Amino acid sequence: MDEIQLIGLFLFVLFLLLGTGVWVGLALLGVAWVGMELFTSRPAGDAMITTIWTTTSSWTLTALPLFIWMGEILFRTRLSEDMFRGLSPWMARLPGGLLHTNIVGCTVFAAVSGSSAATLTMVGKMSIPELRRRNYPEHMVIGTLAGAATLGLMIPPSLTLIVYGVSINESITRLFMAGVLPGLVLALMFMAYVAVRARASRHFNPDQETGLSLREMLATSRALIPVMMLITVVIGSMYLGFATATEAAAFGVLGSLVLAATQRSLTWATVTASLMGATRTSAMIALILAGAAYLSLSMGFTGLPRALAEWIATIELTRFELLMVLLVFYIVIGCFLDGISSVVLTMAVVEPMIRAAGIDVIWFGVFVVVVVEMAQITPPIGFNLFVLQGMTGHHMGVIARAAFPMFLIMVVMVFVLIAVPELATWLPDTMREARAG
Amino acid sequence: MTLLRGLRALLDGLYTAGGVLAALCMLGILVMIVLQMLARWTGEVFPGAPEYAGYCMAAASFLAFAHALTRGAHIRVGILVQALGPRALWLAEVWCFGVGAALAWYLTYYAARAASWSWRLNDISQGQDATPLWIPQLAMVAGAGLFALALTDNLAHLLVTGRHRIRAEAIQDRPDR
Amino acid sequence: GETWDMPMAYAASNFHSETGAAFAQCITTGTGGDLEVVTHPSGALFSGADIKRAVQTGQVPIGERLLSAHQNENPLFGFDSIPFLATSFEDSAALWQAARPTIDQVLADQNLVLLYAVPWPPQGLYFNKAVDSVADMAGVKFRSYNTTTARLAELTGMLPVQIEAAEISQAFATGVVESMMSSGATGYDRKVWESLSHFYTADASLPRNYVFANADAWDGLDDATRDVITACADLAEYAGTARAMEYTTFTVTGLTRNGMTVTAPGDALTAELAAIGETMTAEWLEAAGDDGRAIVDAFKARP
Ligand code: NA
Ligand code: NA
Repeated sequence: MDEIQLIGLFLFVLFLLLGTGVWVGLALLGVAWVGMELFTSRPAGDAMITTIWTTTSSWTLTALPLFIWMGEILFRTRLSEDMFRGLSPWMARLPGGLLHTNIVGCTVFAAVSGSSAATLTMVGKMSIPELRRRNYPEHMVIGTLAGAATLGLMIPPSLTLIVYGVSINESITRLFMAGVLPGLVLALMFMAYVAVRARASRHFNPDQETGLSLREMLATSRALIPVMMLITVVIGSMYLGFATATEAAAFGVLGSLVLAATQRSLTWATVTASLMGATRTSAMIALILAGAAYLSLSMGFTGLPRALAEWIATIELTRFELLMVLLVFYIVIGCFLDGISSVVLTMAVVEPMIRAAGIDVIWFGVFVVVVVEMAQITPPIGFNLFVLQGMTGHHMGVIARAAFPMFLIMVVMVFVLIAVPELATWLPDTMREARAG
Repeated sequence: MTLLRGLRALLDGLYTAGGVLAALCMLGILVMIVLQMLARWTGEVFPGAPEYAGYCMAAASFLAFAHALTRGAHIRVGILVQALGPRALWLAEVWCFGVGAALAWYLTYYAARAASWSWRLNDISQGQDATPLWIPQLAMVAGAGLFALALTDNLAHLLVTGRHRIRAEAIQDRPDR
Repeated sequence: GETWDMPMAYAASNFHSETGAAFAQCITTGTGGDLEVVTHPSGALFSGADIKRAVQTGQVPIGERLLSAHQNENPLFGFDSIPFLATSFEDSAALWQAARPTIDQVLADQNLVLLYAVPWPPQGLYFNKAVDSVADMAGVKFRSYNTTTARLAELTGMLPVQIEAAEISQAFATGVVESMMSSGATGYDRKVWESLSHFYTADASLPRNYVFANADAWDGLDDATRDVITACADLAEYAGTARAMEYTTFTVTGLTRNGMTVTAPGDALTAELAAIGETMTAEWLEAAGDDGRAIVDAFKARP
């Protein structure tokens, strides 16, 4: 079968380039180029630039560097410290302590940003140094971040859900609604895992937060006010119609500059350092995105994702079997593609399959998001892993291992979604009835 | 020797200049978006703001590639390479910089070709800005070229001195305390 | 045999994509598999904005594009989206007949061979309130995505707001935009009833999607294959137009069924819009020169 050889070749070149230490973005370009040259008759270089130019000059991408910049500014102000000071008395009572701030932080910033890379950089920039200082186990710090950042695409706004909605002509508003409850449930599952791990592990000995009376706790919580205001402004700007989801990122940057100014940490040095830091991080992500876009084009030309999807369509499957096969399918192609490309390249074939099987397409949108998000935290190509590597300096293997339990939790989440489909469908259905009534 | 030192300073200056220009483009994204919002709230029109923000985005990415490389910001998977002895490690690094430089020059060549095609085909932005596309694409060509230059520079350094010049800073902890 | 990849910008279930898929199948069958055409809907290979250039430069041999999006490059490409010039499927066909030789030539000069063109359902006006005259439109935030829509906003006193396609739903839901000009089909596909209340079937224009091939790829085919493609293209244009008509009725009914008020604009509004149409036609003629004038004259002289 041609497809097997094709997969084998892609894997071989990918592992060769990544394994020998070629930069990830360039390695993706290389794999894509080999695919184009060997398996298509199209001009590899011209097609490469067309897709890279369109990807890097896209308006929707502009929110990403702005959110990264926002994270860089907050990281250099007293704000992250304040946030931890305000949260610690509350979180300290939960088993797992301040690790929960990673998850809660990602959940909150997920409501602000539409991508998981932005959510990850924002929260990670602030929380990693604070958690390290308090001696939380590194693998737990990294793992919870990698996992919880995927909420950036579950909780609206979400780029993946927009792309899914447009490619199957379904209501993006309903898809956004559908993501809310599963996102919260997944966050709770991550938190439950943290609590259990913390109780069970003898190596979990972070610094104890000092016990405070309720009165003292409320007093300390005042430190949370600035960050709450910032988040309210960003989310509010979106839902009150002042800004689109992309523009909200600009509110975030301006808001954090204002906050930094009120805390007197707005110096020329912090502004330039944050700007240069954000420029480097977003260049790093842009190089990977450019490589991924080209790989996606190359895979599109070779017809591999489509052929696999078509092959699945030919075997007779029950609804549950179909979902299981699609679960494996998206995890496999997630080895090569980012979530959005996975959706775009396969939906033309997958959509008729799920409609024929009588699967609710809104529910399936949430299923797809969970499944392609799992691919963000699995090697060899997992965007959250790359971003975390840039942020922590750890090896890919260390990060991937730390994230693996989160991957398993997301697998469990898939079964929860299958067992309780109302998690995804209840809110959009209720909203529709409310509107109609 | 002086010539070499001058060349060194020139190259390092170029990478930093690319980074600073990229940072200004990043600022440009913010300015475009804010102006667009201000225009909308006040009933004014700023035609083409999203397109301009997009061009800034591309320029901010490409112009910073070389700077990000020299500061170790680009990610690589180093597990296997770490296990190698010094000689094999050097070979692996030569391979990485060789492959990287080849790909980056390839990218530069086709970026330049794309910009010249844009010019010849009279390819104009389809948005309200109606910008001839070769203009913003020049930033892509320059950035890709700078990136290729930086990779080649490091490859040469590696071949001559045995070491590359990428100094990654661990950016996990707060710089100011 | 040879394989031609055909990028298409819209979702697989869109009638243009279905027409394209049938066209591809027709060629594959008609050539006995010597030439297999594979469609890639949803912008899976190249996004809409890149398709024309990709075909021109041979990155793909064939593709589909809404040519009026390229009117910055050549005003002639905008002939089918001049508001209130051709306002029915019949008129649209006549206008297309008048324009085809010119467009064929313009595309041929760009290394493209035009195969067929299928109109979108007629463009109407969406609002979040009842609108009886141009005066009612004053200050309304109107989605503009090109020079024509921006100019229309200006002439009607609306505020042009540039919103990218990915953000339309959210922008309508939160009131960043309050109005747009689009076909009943787009409104139906995007489920605009979730945020908008009125659709005026102003039938402003029927822009077309064009399918074209790279001239070098075309020249490389033998005569028999080219004959098959031409025959399939004629069939696709005919079938696609029929689909567009059918889909117009379907979607307009669908908008009503989902609670929108769907009506033709009132007499006062119609007259005002027609006047704006005259202005915009005159402006287009100025930009498009003699070739443009020839198209409009030939169209107006139709029996
Ligand atoms: Na989100
Ligand atoms: Na992956």
